[in-house]
Amino acid sequence: MDRPIIEARGLTKCFGTQRALSEVTIDIPPGAIGLLGPNGAGKTTFIKCLLNFETPTAGTARVLGREIRPGERSSRERVGYSPEQDCHIPGMAGCEYVTYCGQLSGMPFRKARQRAHEILDLVGMGQERYRLVDTYSTGMKQRVKLAQALVHDPDLVFLDEPTNGLDPSGREHILRLIGSLRRELGISVIVSSHLLHEIERICERVVIIGAGRVLEHDSIAALKDRHRRVVEIAPSGEPERFVAALAGAGVPVERLSNGRLRLESRTESAEWILTLLRDHRLPPAEIVANPNALHELFLKAVAGANGTTPATPPPLPPTVPAGAGPTSSNDGRHA
Amino acid sequence: MDATLDLSRWREAPLGLMHRRWAIVAAGLRQLLRTKFFRIMLFLAWGVGLALAVSGFLFTQSIATGGWLESFVADKGARAQAIVSAFTAIVLVYPDVVIGGMFSMLYWLHSYAGLMLSLITLSTLVPSLVTRDRACNALSIYLSRPLTSLDYLLGKLGIIVGVLVLLWTGPLVASWLVSMAFAPEADFFTHSLEPLGRALLFNLAGLVALACVALGVSSISRSTKATIFLWIGAWPLAFFIASFPTTPEWLSSLSFHWDLNQLRGSIFQMERILTDAADSLPLVDRGITEGLRHMADDVRTGDLALTLSGLAALVATSLVVLFRRLRPE
Repeated sequence: MDRPIIEARGLTKCFGTQRALSEVTIDIPPGAIGLLGPNGAGKTTFIKCLLNFETPTAGTARVLGREIRPGERSSRERVGYSPEQDCHIPGMAGCEYVTYCGQLSGMPFRKARQRAHEILDLVGMGQERYRLVDTYSTGMKQRVKLAQALVHDPDLVFLDEPTNGLDPSGREHILRLIGSLRRELGISVIVSSHLLHEIERICERVVIIGAGRVLEHDSIAALKDRHRRVVEIAPSGEPERFVAALAGAGVPVERLSNGRLRLESRTESAEWILTLLRDHRLPPAEIVANPNALHELFLKAVAGANGTTPATPPPLPPTVPAGAGPTSSNDGRHA
Repeated sequence: MDATLDLSRWREAPLGLMHRRWAIVAAGLRQLLRTKFFRIMLFLAWGVGLALAVSGFLFTQSIATGGWLESFVADKGARAQAIVSAFTAIVLVYPDVVIGGMFSMLYWLHSYAGLMLSLITLSTLVPSLVTRDRACNALSIYLSRPLTSLDYLLGKLGIIVGVLVLLWTGPLVASWLVSMAFAPEADFFTHSLEPLGRALLFNLAGLVALACVALGVSSISRSTKATIFLWIGAWPLAFFIASFPTTPEWLSSLSFHWDLNQLRGSIFQMERILTDAADSLPLVDRGITEGLRHMADDVRTGDLALTLSGLAALVATSLVVLFRRLRPE
């Protein structure tokens, strides 16, 4: 197994009486990792401690095998960081800014300039790179922020909400780029985001943080396996017949407001559902396994940390007689 | 689907810390040199330096045989020639008093121009030192690199040093070199070293004080306007209040410009130089002697300990403010 990119042992950070991080102990292997957690969970504090922006109250941490200590520079030599908030160095054009960031990381000027142009091409910046960063739109600032984090060819990049402010095509472009960083260049990426579907799409692993503690840390595949096997079926027509067929097989079915049917699979595979529907000559338009698994896991983990129950989505009813007729519920769904 | 990354790799060892600090200094100076205002300041500073060099050159050539002074008075009659001969003789007999005094006077006058040009330039530079970086969250960019707050601070300090070298130290040293390059006697070199050393010492004191106060003021606020107001309060307004004859000395010492003026007197010791000249030079005209004594009275300075205490307090306060603010937000 590769050496962990991040090793934290009892990492604790207090701001006065408030504990932002509470004895975080974790080994994160190389890869694309999603950092999830509600607002104020301690994600940013965790990243800041790893970047040495904040001095931990207790505990130790190593990034890329280098220990984090006050005044220590080497742990950030091969690390890139794209913060959540708008940030740039004023009075510089885009390419000048990215080149300068490369130089600040110890690159010679010529190499920094070459990489800056390559990275700016990669993040989709055209001639705007010759304009002052101060005049950029939010989307362009987001791209240039990503470029500065990558210019020095880091081994690890922290990306805090990297798609904020991007239009759909820009978002797609950046997500593809982030996905490629690990696969093509071997750069480990830690993405902090509230957009779970983005995390699910580009990350192999997830770390869920809540109330300053690590609540979950595993690969997305493993987390989904641990999750109850929810399947959503989009009937191609005659939804009543679908419900009746499934109910006949003794499967509790939930009818969603978008017309889909939600049920819990008996096995890992959804093959038996396909067989059942084929037997009843009911071709489904679409079958999705674990459609909101990460979302539900996230809510469950956070609710567990807070000592409450997750608010949405509601758990499936233990037994619902299919075809029993629609019944109103608070969230607009009906069983 | 992933993007295809057409990208060169950089797997070399990063360049050293000095390179990274120098990158901050070079970027700051490059940005400054793009402004028309700074280029005008540079023109003025080197214009003053040129005037200083010409003055030094004319003075060193004044006693040379066949020099400009001798040629100038050749057809002005015996009286003028006698005066020039007497002056030349005084320079040769009292080189320490005359050469040292003359260069002290030149560098003393230049220190006013150098300090003022530096202060005016710093007024435009102060908001871009730390204020704008804080407003744009640029500290996160700097400190996520292999740099610490101290490296960032040294880089910003380097920008101020660069400004003062370009506007003050550079013209001073260049003018001295020009003066000495054509000096006819080694005495000029020997006796101008001390005034030059004093000028550089005052330059250094000014650099430390200005750098600390400028960085401190720049780090207080994230707003450019607020920083400009603070600078106006710390420099011209405080100096205006300190300059009132009725202002208590302890209060005056809270103005760094007033403190630097006091320190200038103590470092250049113009009072002693003028008194020495009045006492030791065989000046025929009593009026000149009295004039030198009056000038010595005029340049008398106050309590050095109080001045130094005031400057130290300002520098310490600025550093405390600065280090408290140098964190990513």
